[in-house]
Amino acid sequence: MRPWVIAVLSYRDLERFWKYKWWLAALVTMNLADLFIFALIFRGIVKRELIPDYFLFLAPGIASIAAFAAAFTIGREVMMELRRGFHHYLLSLPISRLELVFGRIAAGMVRGIIYQTPFLLLLLVLLEPPSPHGLLAMTLATLMIVASMSCLSIAASTLVKSLELQATIRSLLYFLAFFLSNVFYPESVIRERFPEQLYVVIVNNPISLATSIYREVFIPEMVPPTDISANLAKLAIWTLFLFLLGSHLYVRNLER
Amino acid sequence: MGVAVKIRGLVKKFGNFAAVNGLNLDIEEGEIFGLLGPNGSGKSTTLLIIATVYKPTEGDVEVHGHSVTKSPDEVRRLVGIAFQEPKALWVDNPYELLVWHAMVVGYSFLDARRAVREIMEELEIWEHRGKLFSELSGGTRKKVEIAKLFLQKPKVAIFDEPTAQLDVTTRHKVWDMIEALKEERRTIIVATNDMAEADRLSDRLGIIYKGNLKALGTPAELKDRIPAGDVMEFSIEGQAGEHLLAALSRALNTERVNLTNGTLKVYVNRAEEKVAVAIETLSKMGVKVRSVSIKEPTLDDVFFYFTGAQLREGR
Repeated sequence: MRPWVIAVLSYRDLERFWKYKWWLAALVTMNLADLFIFALIFRGIVKRELIPDYFLFLAPGIASIAAFAAAFTIGREVMMELRRGFHHYLLSLPISRLELVFGRIAAGMVRGIIYQTPFLLLLLVLLEPPSPHGLLAMTLATLMIVASMSCLSIAASTLVKSLELQATIRSLLYFLAFFLSNVFYPESVIRERFPEQLYVVIVNNPISLATSIYREVFIPEMVPPTDISANLAKLAIWTLFLFLLGSHLYVRNLER
Repeated sequence: MGVAVKIRGLVKKFGNFAAVNGLNLDIEEGEIFGLLGPNGSGKSTTLLIIATVYKPTEGDVEVHGHSVTKSPDEVRRLVGIAFQEPKALWVDNPYELLVWHAMVVGYSFLDARRAVREIMEELEIWEHRGKLFSELSGGTRKKVEIAKLFLQKPKVAIFDEPTAQLDVTTRHKVWDMIEALKEERRTIIVATNDMAEADRLSDRLGIIYKGNLKALGTPAELKDRIPAGDVMEFSIEGQAGEHLLAALSRALNTERVNLTNGTLKVYVNRAEEKVAVAIETLSKMGVKVRSVSIKEPTLDDVFFYFTGAQLREGR
């Protein structure tokens, strides 16, 4: 595996992503506005004894949503390439299939990081800077969540050929990943309102794991203590699983 | 010179349809090999298998000893392909696409920019460098596609209908560039359904039809395989009776001699070797030759002879 090849492959995807820079800016602005409006309204509604400050509680979750949204755009590119036959060109290039897969996933990761950065910066501005360990945990969580969402997006996109179906799958995954996560509600509420098995699924979904890590790093006083190392390990397992799934489906669907 | 591409028992099926059906072929190192056949004959599928884009259903292809099924990564380092349909997305622009391609095939960031500018200027598409791919004409898109291979200069360069959609001047320029690539000791495969292109470029030619190889040889050899395929035409003065036709028939070893309105037509193989004998025979018989011309069969004739189908329609 040649790292420079992966860098060159990602460079092209990044160049394309940058062509949508105004759309990207609009998305970031919209999400930030959502965060403010939504959180400010709910700050006054949600019981203080449950969540002392809903605005600060929601902010780390929005960072996870941002990673999901941006990393998922790589799947759209992959699907467009399949529709237009561009993948034939990629398959003919003097690179290995593994380099191709890594290149695409890396591109999705870079997109996710770019998009997520303003939200993480906002957290750093709003809250006290985390400790070096916290910063490391935040970085690892960010890398893993963007990698896993990028893989999930590629896996989903190679299965369908229509844009409409891809958008539907994206929405469904979005719904499942966020409704069944701890982004909007604390774990105590989830435990109270959902069956035990579903609770286990919800708190161990990659979005929940990343959000838990961000909360532990930025607002530890607002959430029950969690084991960051255990959450990082679980996130690593998810990332590995989704990488294997995404790369297998990508290559299988590209090669006939 | 060894074998650059060895194809053995190659079969590619899409569902029940066999696009390639038991193809065997050797392509020599350093030659320009023409693959001639109508659309849907299996040319592009074969090329895509050589380029490791498709996997064979049966059989194998070796490129400089590396199997497309066993060591595709090695094969991809040796092979490059310019596709029949230019490959780009509408948001791409030619310059970025070519610079990126150059970097993937091993150029440094700065060298890529320099090389891309050179090739774009040579193909007269530099002025289009910043346009979106969707804004380009078919000819310009095609030039961008073939520019990739002139940048890459792989050991085995595959051009799938390289001059389709190009104007006459550019066609000749591209042919010259392909020949120059051959001079750099590259093996070149050109798939085409254009007779002029096949005739001009190919050292050897394979005629492919319905997924099978129907004939193989140099263009001249293939034309010569058509029985009595060349036509010598004499415009003559003087008496020409049955005895003249019989004498010519004997001298040239052909039964196909006829005379119509002062034009004598003799059908032979390798007419260029026999024209002197014909003139001498006519002279001995007291017939004056005003003019002589030799017409070769076209590759259209060759294709028809070997497949029973017209090349354009593929029927």
